[in-house]
Amino acid sequence: MSDRDPHALESRLIGTGVERLALLGKHAEALMAGYARDEVPLEGLSTTALNRLLAARILWRPDEQGGVKLAPKVRELIAEMLADETRRHVNADVAETLELMRTLVQSYREARDAGEYWRQEQQLLRLRQEVDDLNGRFADAIDSLWRRLNSDFGFVSRLGDKIRENARAQKQIVRLLDGLELIDFHELIELVGSDGALRKLLVSGLQHQLTQHYTSLREVQRRMVELMARFRQQQSRSRLVAGMAGFLREHPGFVPGNYARRSEVPALVNRAAPLVAAGAAALDHHPDTRALTELLHQLPRPVHRPEPVTAAGAAAPQEDTLVAARQQALKEDVERFYLAVVDRGGEGLSALAYLQEGELAWGEEIWLFQVIAEFQGLPRGEQRAFRLRQQESQASPFNHLRLIHDVSLALRAGA
Amino acid sequence: MTECSMVEHGPLLERLLAGEFICAVSDESAFRRLQDDEVREQLDTYLRPLNRRLATNDEGSVYFLAWRQLDEGAREQLSRQLADTVNSLLPMLEWLQLVQETLGRDGLAAPGDVLKPADFSSRCEDNQGLRERLERLATDPFFGSQSDQLDAQLKQVFKRLKEHGYLLQPHADRQYFVVTAKIDYLVDLVRFIRDEENLPVDDQAPASQESLL
Repeated sequence: MSDRDPHALESRLIGTGVERLALLGKHAEALMAGYARDEVPLEGLSTTALNRLLAARILWRPDEQGGVKLAPKVRELIAEMLADETRRHVNADVAETLELMRTLVQSYREARDAGEYWRQEQQLLRLRQEVDDLNGRFADAIDSLWRRLNSDFGFVSRLGDKIRENARAQKQIVRLLDGLELIDFHELIELVGSDGALRKLLVSGLQHQLTQHYTSLREVQRRMVELMARFRQQQSRSRLVAGMAGFLREHPGFVPGNYARRSEVPALVNRAAPLVAAGAAALDHHPDTRALTELLHQLPRPVHRPEPVTAAGAAAPQEDTLVAARQQALKEDVERFYLAVVDRGGEGLSALAYLQEGELAWGEEIWLFQVIAEFQGLPRGEQRAFRLRQQESQASPFNHLRLIHDVSLALRAGA
Repeated sequence: MTECSMVEHGPLLERLLAGEFICAVSDESAFRRLQDDEVREQLDTYLRPLNRRLATNDEGSVYFLAWRQLDEGAREQLSRQLADTVNSLLPMLEWLQLVQETLGRDGLAAPGDVLKPADFSSRCEDNQGLRERLERLATDPFFGSQSDQLDAQLKQVFKRLKEHGYLLQPHADRQYFVVTAKIDYLVDLVRFIRDEENLPVDDQAPASQESLL
């Protein structure tokens, strides 16, 4: 009889559990609405359905007048399922679990000593579930921490919030690590004694898993601290830029010291002048000649191919031929001006006067340019025979720009 | 130092000599190589006859070339360069603030961030205040826009930032830009000037905010 009762209890538990889990699926939309908002909307829920949800402790009513809300555990379950970091909880309570495990080990031993095999199995099962829960809690917490870390706390947008969330996560890590500290393997070894099943569960298995959690937590902690430093640096940079911009706007005349003149030039200010590493084709290295020849052959052909001579071509001389012809005419006129100076006995002759006198069609500026250019182009010996005087004035009192109004050319005395 | 290993650094040396800042955004593989002490020593040895050496900022996020010996010419050049930088400081800082506000971020643009002129023009179109600030900024001599069209102004601002090495345009025909770590250098310089001149500019969060944590 004593064996059948627990079985009956178990099947009743399973039956009710299945019924109540089904409620979650059946009312999923209303429940999710309650998750997203403050209260569960009651439209669409019949009184029977509402009562069932309340009886299953899926919903609860904080006070008689108020609305119906999701039970905390259900909210947590959904947050876990969605990995919703804004609402996910980290449960670091190890002390309670340890207490329960001690109790279960005691019951297990008593059952074993009394030879109650079924009860012993049940205790071992519950113990295993507690160990799994403990593991699962650490694994979930670590998963949640990594997610928050890897998303740069993307679920909050303001930097200030990110800094606060990071601080909260770091406190959670400290609590989780403190929780791990509470697990004393010497005590557990003593507690399990020589029982092989217990030893495997509570000592070797647990120890292995907790070592992994410990390593993960240390790593995530290190990364959280780094991320926090980055957040703080971002915050400080943004304040610095805002502050400095404000200062410069208020003090438009602000000039910092010339750090380049200090005996110790600060590292940030020392930036060498750019240097262009120039290169040109050279033929002094024999093996390169072939490569250069090839490059030459590869040069794109000019787009304007020489046009075949046609009747029209002769009638419209090309633009640059015209320019060259005018240039040549100008040069010849200037040469005549030089000869005129020599012919007139070498006395000073104004270039502009000659231009007007000869009724030449050149612009004054172009004429003067060419006269000066001709002088500079003369061979040294001939240049010495002439004297070129520039009649000029300063363009403005503020600079050294000088304007040439005219030049006069004369033969040098004694030349 | 083998000749072969220096040949490998040729393009990097050329960029450094041309005055470029090398960071993880502007040239990731070169930046990785520069983090190797041995490579840096090799490059320094190479640069010695050119009176240059490798230099970096406080956090080591950018590399550039510094004078090895400071003669009169170098000091003259540094003074001019510093004056230019100081003149461009306010427009640069205002641009950083504008980016932050236009894109609704509360941190500064950081190396690796992607900026698109199109985002700016759409935000500025429905916000007259931002539009006016951008206009003022674009016509600042540092950015030097001559246009009164929003898109042309943005184009000019991005072009100048690219020329100055603060932005990188991965594809010449696509209008998106990546912030380089030269921005770190600028912020370091601002902090340096603040400290040297004892300017009343605070970069720490007020204590009341800390106590909430």
